[in-house]
Amino acid sequence: MRLTRASLMILMALGMIGCDEKLSDLTGPTPNLEPTFSSIQHEIFDNSDSSGRSACIQCHTNVGRNPSGGLNLTSSTSYAALVGTASLLKPSATRVIAGDPDNSYLIQKLQGSADIVGRRMPFTGPPYLTDGQIRVIKRWIEIGAPNN
Amino acid sequence: MRWSRALLTCALLLASCPQLSFAQNTGAKTPPPADDPDKDPNASQPDFTLIALPTSLRLPQFSSAFRVTHRFLRPLGEGDFGDLLDDFFGLDNGAQIGLEYRFGLMRGLQAGIHRTSDKTIEFFSQYSLAQQKNNGFAGLDVIASIDGTNNFRDSYSPTIGVVLSHELGSHGALYFEPIWVNNSNPDPSEIVDHNDTIIYGVGARLRLLPTVYVVGEFLPRSGYTPGVNHGSFGIEKRAGGHVFQLNFSNGFGTTMGQLARGGTASDDWYLGFNISRKFFR
Repeated sequence: MRLTRASLMILMALGMIGCDEKLSDLTGPTPNLEPTFSSIQHEIFDNSDSSGRSACIQCHTNVGRNPSGGLNLTSSTSYAALVGTASLLKPSATRVIAGDPDNSYLIQKLQGSADIVGRRMPFTGPPYLTDGQIRVIKRWIEIGAPNN
Repeated sequence: MRWSRALLTCALLLASCPQLSFAQNTGAKTPPPADDPDKDPNASQPDFTLIALPTSLRLPQFSSAFRVTHRFLRPLGEGDFGDLLDDFFGLDNGAQIGLEYRFGLMRGLQAGIHRTSDKTIEFFSQYSLAQQKNNGFAGLDVIASIDGTNNFRDSYSPTIGVVLSHELGSHGALYFEPIWVNNSNPDPSEIVDHNDTIIYGVGARLRLLPTVYVVGEFLPRSGYTPGVNHGSFGIEKRAGGHVFQLNFSNGFGTTMGQLARGGTASDDWYLGFNISRKFFR
């Protein structure tokens, strides 16, 4: 009987597991954003969102123009242009340093850090990316910036 | 959603006491025995908690107890002693206050609710699996709880653990309490390394005088471990059904989720007190 009751208590606790916060509560205007490169490409680079933020490929594309800052974020080239690649306008900075989001120039540009060259991105902001959206991109970098 | 979680908690609490359900179905009353040993004073474990951690003191069936916790927000080390005296040891500043009520659902099984003034609500239950007086070595309880912030609307942290106690005659008791706190991290699991915390709580209560005790507890952790490991010590006086405790802690946590998230800083200590009252003779 005692073990039955103890087991019930354990089941009670296990039944309450799954209380994790929803990622969509964090990512706000892009509820489908996940810390994967394909998701970031689709939700951030390729498309605008409900906040009115501009899609990155409005300027960072080679379709009909030269990509701004020499950064082409169209899907076929974006990963190679970001991960382990130096910034054209600030050669001492690497756009994405796998595992090191705080020193990745992409994050500094999105956050508008003090030592960036040029303006905070997106160029047409505000609105800029929300803190939650940037958190997800930082997480992707933190876990090694995989091409997933 | 929040009500469904609260109802689930209540339903499962009730489901875990089959004797109570049986009594309701048949209409038969099962009064606690007149000589219920759970009503006897326990000199080694005079209260249901150390400072924040639970003890293995049993609450008699159909009896209850109330507790108020108070943690003043002013760090004791802020400024010089004159400043501290000027703020009357922190009493002039705000405090995190907790109110708690627990009830003995059946012999060995107690459940309760604890709310703190940062709008966290915790539902908890505890079942006594083994008592030292029967096996001669240790008491063993299983505990389960869930707390939710913002009046149980956000960030739910279910918990399960055990309380292993060893009474030192009538001189006090030692405790070891491994506790697993799920979803202690308020961020979604997709963007964090650790979403859960395991607490390895240790504590002691030592009886200095017939009704005066010193208490202490320390909560090393693994998994999600922000802040510093919670530590606390205090002195307390038992007076009939009351226990008055003056304590010093490096954080304000009193629910399991709060304890999992740790203290504020290792060199910031805060004055606090607990007052508990048992409603049984």
